[in-house]
This record gives sequence, C-alpha cells and structure tokens, in this order.
Amino acid sequence: MIELKNITVAFDGQKVLDRLDFSLGQGEFVYLVGQTGTGKSTLMRLLYFDLRPSTGKVRVASYDSETLKSKHIPLIRRRLGIVFQDFKLLEDRSVYDNVAFALFATNAKRSEIKKTVLHVLADVGLSHKRNHMPNELSGGEQQRVVIARALVNEPVVLLADEPTGNLDPTSSAEIMELLKKINMRGTAVLMATHNYELVKKYPARVVQLKDGKLTEIEMKKTK
Amino acid sequence: MQFRYIIKEGFSGFKRAKLSMFAAIFTICVSLLLLSSFAILFINANSVVNSLREKVEMEAFLDEQLSADNVTEIKGMVEMLEGVREVHYVSKEEAAKIFQQEFGEDIYKVLNFNPLPASLKIFLGEGYRNARHAEKIVEQVKSIKGVNDVIYRKQLLEMLDERAMIFLWITLGIGVFITISSIILVANTIRLAIYAKRKIIQTMKLIGATRGFIRLPFLLEGFLQGLIGGLIAAAVIFVVFTYLEKWLTVSLSQFANVETYYYGIIIGTGCLLGLLGSMISVRRFISEGINN
Repeated sequence: MIELKNITVAFDGQKVLDRLDFSLGQGEFVYLVGQTGTGKSTLMRLLYFDLRPSTGKVRVASYDSETLKSKHIPLIRRRLGIVFQDFKLLEDRSVYDNVAFALFATNAKRSEIKKTVLHVLADVGLSHKRNHMPNELSGGEQQRVVIARALVNEPVVLLADEPTGNLDPTSSAEIMELLKKINMRGTAVLMATHNYELVKKYPARVVQLKDGKLTEIEMKKTK
Repeated sequence: MQFRYIIKEGFSGFKRAKLSMFAAIFTICVSLLLLSSFAILFINANSVVNSLREKVEMEAFLDEQLSADNVTEIKGMVEMLEGVREVHYVSKEEAAKIFQQEFGEDIYKVLNFNPLPASLKIFLGEGYRNARHAEKIVEQVKSIKGVNDVIYRKQLLEMLDERAMIFLWITLGIGVFITISSIILVANTIRLAIYAKRKIIQTMKLIGATRGFIRLPFLLEGFLQGLIGGLIAAAVIFVVFTYLEKWLTVSLSQFANVETYYYGIIIGTGCLLGLLGSMISVRRFISEGINN
C-alpha cells in the first residue's frame, strides 16, 4: 500500500529523514510517534507528494515517486484521505458543502454527490449539523467533518497528521473511536501523534521517528 | 468538468468576498478610465494633426506657353510620382475665379489682364504629408520641363513634423507608464483577493483537485470583475465625453470624439485585464506547498 525505501530528506543541508525505510500494508493501523520537530509531518508530506525526497523512493498504491509526473499527483490524493491538526475546513461554507466540495473537485456525478455526502456525514455522526457553518462547531466536530471529507472519496489510506492535537481528551477519544471504526472497514490508517496516552489506550503498530530514522516500538495498553 | 460548480464558484466571490471583489472592480475601472481617456485624447489629437496635414497641398505653376497636350502630359508625369495621390488642373480662368473668391475683386478690372498662371494642385498621399517627402516631391516636380515653380506651406509641415514627434514621444511615455501601472495595480489587487483564498486553494489541492479545476473559478471571477469594471468605465467615458463634446467649442470638440467601437475595446480590455491579473496571481498560489 505504502512503501518508503532508503528515503533521505534534507532542508538547507540539514537531514530531517536519513535513509529511512517504512511500509504500511492494506488495512493496517500504524502510529507514527516522535517529538515535535522530528519530521513526522515531513514524512506525511512525502506520502501525499507535497514534497519529493532528496534520495530514495516513495510508493503509494500503484504510484512511484521516481516515475510520477506532476499531473498525476491529484489522482494519488484522491486515493488518500488527509486529515490535519488545523482542520483546513472552508470557513465560508456549510458542513455539507465542505464535504461535497471534495466530490465536486474530483468530478463525481452530481446525482451521487448528495447521497454520498449524507451517508458519510451519518457515519461521523454529523447528519443533524449538515447546515451548520464550521465556526458553529466544536473542535471535535470540526475534525469529524474533516474525516468525513477525507472518507468521501473512499480512500485506501487515511493519513492523519496530529488529528487530536487541538482537541480535548473527550473529543480526542471520539476521533480515535472513529478512526478505529474506519480502519475496521478496511481502510489503512497512518496517524502521526505525540500523544502517547492515546497510543497506549488504542493499541496498534507503533513506529517512532528519531534522528531521521524509524524504529518499531512496543507499547503497553493502559485502561 | 463540473461546469455548474465552476460557474457557481466563479460568481461566489460577489457573495463571499464583497470587499475584495469591489476593490478589484474599482481598480480595473479606474485603470481603464485612465487608459481609455488617454487613448481617446491621443487618437483624436492624432487625427486633428492628420487633418491639418491633409490640408497641405502643393501648387505647381505652369509655363504660359504650354499646349493642352503638354499640360495633360505633365499632369500624368506628376500623377506617376511616388507619394502623389491626386492632381487637379487649375486653368488661368479658374485661377482668376479663385482670386475673385479670395479677394472679392476681379483681376481683369484691377490689372486689365490676368497674370495668374495655370497650375496643378497636388495632393499628397498618406505617409507622404511631411516635410521630408514633400521636399523630395517638390524637387521632382520642379525638374519637369514646363513647371516654373512649386509652392507649398513648408513651414506648417515642418512645424507639424517637429511638434508631432515631441507629442508622440511624450504621449508614448505617458501611455507606457499608465499601461504598466494599470497592470501592476490590477494584478496586485487580484493577488490580494486570491491570497485571501489561499486556504481554499490548499484544500482543493489536498483533496486531489487538478490545477485546471482550481484555476477555472478564479479565472471566471477575474473575467467577471474585468467585465463589470469595463462596463462601468465605458459608461463613465460615454457620459463624460458626450458632455465634453457638447460643452467644448467646435474646434476643440474633435478631441472628445468617441467612436462606438471604442466602448467594445474598453470592455474587452477590462475582461483581458481581469483574466490576466487572476491568471498571474493564481498560478503563484497553486505552486505553493499544501502545508506551508
């Protein structure tokens, strides 16, 4: 599904990722942990091709960074669901329009847009707030809209960069339950976080980014 | 392509970003007003100069002894010269009539004979109504046997040449200045408006929208801003110049003449300005990374 081989990324001569290898299989749930500034977001950017590695190869689904043309980048992103800490919702339109926007942008048929959007909003528990504007929602609700928008194109992988970073513990737990539910249905999830409590509470494979390299680590489950 | 969506988005700025939309339309309108007023004055001043040049004619005086055949032959030779558009023969009798019209007296009564020679009135073609070409034609006409002298308003032509060059360079300088300022002003205003929508552009990229899909609503928006700016500018020009034409004296009113097709050019230029401005600005923001 996702494969990083011998990846090095350097900014101004400073290596952020150093000959890093990583793979994520179909339907897997993986935490990417590490302290702030260790390069978690850089690794994520490689996966949605907002950044190309200095050396090495990135493969996402059937796309390969070595042979990929710029015009194919939108096609990859349609197969990924991307969730950010700062939501990136469009403040000037309703919840429904925010989600429908993803379908309009990907040339979906008009007849299917309404059905799909309502279905996904029901999935994240926001059907009743479909006409609200983002600023009328809580942080947790806004993040659920983002997840709905990420899901609407049925992605093979959901990339979540600190999705609970701006949320209180209750909302964080709700988002985690939602991500787990999505994962149970077969969508692979890669979640970058530095919230070790959550990682312990919802156990899965954990990789730690430190000094530009990834290592697998074991976490004990907490109640 | 989601045409309905693109059209809806293109128009959405009128609802969602009223202030920046107003700023863009206002800027385009003001730029067009400056550009078009200047262009109209320039074109009209040019046509006034040209109509003055058109009035410059040469007169070649013919030998008294020439036969009708000789005159026809000379007239033909002059007509063949490069730069000559038209040649009229003025006989001695016609010259006397012109004298009477101009001075109100009959030359036969004043002098008892007609000293006025027969002549050829020579009109120059467009592009030859300047001192340099006129002088060359004078030399050629003078060299024809049977032509005694050639006169024309040399000083007027020389003055027009000199003033026209100064006028041309000054207006060209001002024109270039206004055009460049307008483009920079419009591009900057639209860039600010699009900068405010950077988040939308980032989000669109994030969810896999193609560059074309992202760009089109902005281009449509720019086009609409240009269209509205152009329509307003054309309306203002119409009102102002119609009044000017009425209020100015007849000789000055030529400067306020606006041909109907100018309005089309003003509106078209507005659309082009809006389109170019948004094209330049949106390209920059599309090239930016998502998570900057």
